[in-house]
Formats: sequence, structure tokens, C-alpha cells
Amino acid sequence: MATVLTVWGSPSATSRTGVVARHVAARLTADGHDVSTLAVRDLPAQALLHADFADPDLRAALARVADADALVIASPVYKAAYSGVLKTFLDVLPQFALRGKEILPVLTGGTPAHVLALDYALRPVLTSLGADHVAQGWFVHERFVSVEGAMEAEGVAPLEELADAFSARLRRPAAVA
Amino acid sequence: MAQPVKLVVVSAGLGKPSSTRMLGDRLAEATGRQLLDRGVEADVHTVELRDVAVDIAHNLVTGFPPPGLRAAIETVTRADALIAVTPIFTASYSGLFKSFFDVLDNSALTGKPVLIAATGGTARHSLALEHALRPLFAYLRATVTPTSVYAATGDWGASAGAGDDLAARIARAGGELADLAAGLPRAAAAPAAEFEEVVPFAEQLAALRRG
Ligand SMILES: Cc1cc2nc3c(=O)[nH]c(=O)nc-3n(C[C@H](O)[C@H](O)[C@H](O)COP(=O)(O)O)c2cc1C
Repeated sequence: MATVLTVWGSPSATSRTGVVARHVAARLTADGHDVSTLAVRDLPAQALLHADFADPDLRAALARVADADALVIASPVYKAAYSGVLKTFLDVLPQFALRGKEILPVLTGGTPAHVLALDYALRPVLTSLGADHVAQGWFVHERFVSVEGAMEAEGVAPLEELADAFSARLRRPAAVA
Repeated sequence: MAQPVKLVVVSAGLGKPSSTRMLGDRLAEATGRQLLDRGVEADVHTVELRDVAVDIAHNLVTGFPPPGLRAAIETVTRADALIAVTPIFTASYSGLFKSFFDVLDNSALTGKPVLIAATGGTARHSLALEHALRPLFAYLRATVTPTSVYAATGDWGASAGAGDDLAARIARAGGELADLAAGLPRAAAAPAAEFEEVVPFAEQLAALRRG
């Protein structure tokens, strides 16, 4: 069993990215992992944007990243890249915060023209944070997800497969320190 | 003299003083000087995103800009030319920088001349300008100068050689932005008068033949 933290970076309360992230989290939980979720929008904006490490909520969030064996990083696509909101959180992490961790990147977006944002925009950032392994991720088109939580199988089946492969990788003895 | 060019610097620097702001100032100075060489004055405004950071977060959540942020958005939208400077964090633009451009209208920068620049601790992240900032402004359909400017901590005057490189690059980028900005049709230039000055193509040809 691995400790997994799902980080999602949509500013909206009724978020498709949140729906997808929770879906992946539920799947990993069902597979026996200890999964919890961190919504960047719930963190105090002032502390986050000014990197105020004295803030107790921010410190708690950073501790959760440090304690995780693996992270699911989920973001909406904004302006052809990950959201600025997600980046505000990645910015306050220590330089090699993802060293020794397994990462599953997930995006939701409104146009398939931006699928490559996952590999061209998000992946290099995760790599620069020292991630040991950034798994194959998935872009879910918004039309497959309703903000109420419903998802169409066609749109999420590939992500489920990738999540299962990710889960299996976490079970390998070497994956969890 | 032509109507001054509204030159706007957007700085995502957090420190006080901020090297990101300092780079923005140097670029504005270089652009302004070279606009003057082209017979155009520059009217420089600076938007410090640090001052509207929390407004940006609220806008993303509520969908509406508080007054301070609205003023910043208007300044940027009305600019004739833009200098966008961010610190590089985790090999890309900062979250604050990206969040500001996230709240802009998709059409706010269409056709606008933009100079992209960044500061970082290490020159090893220079390519963030090309792989992160340039695509963002391409998506927003801005006209980005071919030269982008990256200043690492060591470039600020420490060794003369590195400092000279930075100065040369600032001058080149400023010249490119000045060219683009000076080429803009500006509101106060009376269109009718401009058209009267146009020499018909046939006449130009004739002049060539005579010469
Ligand atoms: C400010 C803004 C910018 C967006 N830019 C893009 C974009 O460039 N490409 C894209 O595919 N979708 C874009 N979208 C659509 C969102 O990515 C899509 O609706 C996503 O599912 C929203 O996720 P959320 O509900 O978790 O916020 C944009 C949405 C907003 C609000």
C-alpha cells in the first residue's frame, strides 16, 4: 500500500478536474492505497502567492506532499497549459520535492488541440521538481465529465487503465520506500 | 511628433527590490530610447502583479476582477506594446504570472507586440522562455519579438563579460519591440492625412525608371 496525494489545481468549486481527480482517487483507494486529496483553491491565497511558510495551512499542505509516496497532479487546461493556480502551489514546493515519488499527471480541457499541454507544459515542470518517474498521463475532454460528477466511459476508460497501471507500479516493493 | 506609445511592463517579481522588476525597467528604458530614435515617445506604465496577487486569486474563484485588478487588466489591454517579465520557478513562469494571463480575455493581446523576459538563479533554465512563455503568448495571438531576454543572478554586473552580454541582449530586444511598436497605426494619427501622403504605385515605378 502506498500513500497517495491527489493535488488538483482548478479555481472553481464545481470543477471537472476535481471530478476526474476524485475518480482516480477512488480507484486507487479501491486498490488498497491510502489516498487523500488536496485542492489548491482551499489554501489561503495570500500565503500561497507570497510564499508565506509561516502559514499553518500551507505548512500542512507541504508536509502532505513530503509524506506521499506518489502524487496525482490534476489541472484544467488554461491558455494551452496547466492552470496558474496549480503552478502557485508547485512554486512553493522545495526544489526537489518530488524526488523519490511516482507521479500521475491528469488534465481536463475544452479542446483536443491542447492534449499536448500534458507532455509539453506539465511534464517538464514535474521533472524539474525531481520526480523519479512521471507516468503516462491522460487528458480528459470536458464533454465527458459533468460538474455534478457523472462521467462518460468513453472519455475516462483510458485514464482508468493508466490509473490501474500506476497503482500496480506502486505495489512493487521498490516503489515505496 | 506622433502620439506616444503606451509601453506597459508586467512584472511578476515578488522581492523588494526585485531583479524581475529591474529587468523590466531596463527593457523599458532600452525600448523607450530606441523608440525615440525612431521619432516616437514612450509613455511607460508598470504593473506589479505582486500588488494584485490576492485579487487575481479572487477573480479566478469568483470570475470578477476587484477594482485594483481591473485597472491592471485595462492597462495591459490598452497597451501598444508589452514587456512581460517573470521569475522562473520550477523551469517555467511563476504561478502568479500564469494566473494573471489566465484571467485575461483571450482577445486582450491579439496582435500586440510583446517582449518576453525572465530572471532566474541559473542560466540553465533560459529555455523556459522558449518552451513556456512563447507558447503562452502564441496562444494569445500576440506578436512576440524574436529576441527574448533571460537574466541569471550572475549576469547582473558580476563579471563584466556576462553583464555586457545581457546589456547587448536587452538593447537588441528593445530595438525589436521599438520597431514593432513604432509600426503600429496609433489612434491619434489622422488617417486621412496619411492617405494623402501615399505615392501611387505607378508613380513610384515611373520614378524608378526615370532614376
Ligand atoms: C480561463 C480559462 C481558460 C481556458 N483555456 C483553455 C485552453 O486553452 N484549452 C482548453 O482545452 N480548454 C481551456 N479551457 C476549458 C477548461 O480547460 C475546461 O473546461 C476544464 O475542464 C475546466 O476544468 P475545471 O472545471 O476543473 O475548472 C479554459 C477555461 C477557462 C476558464
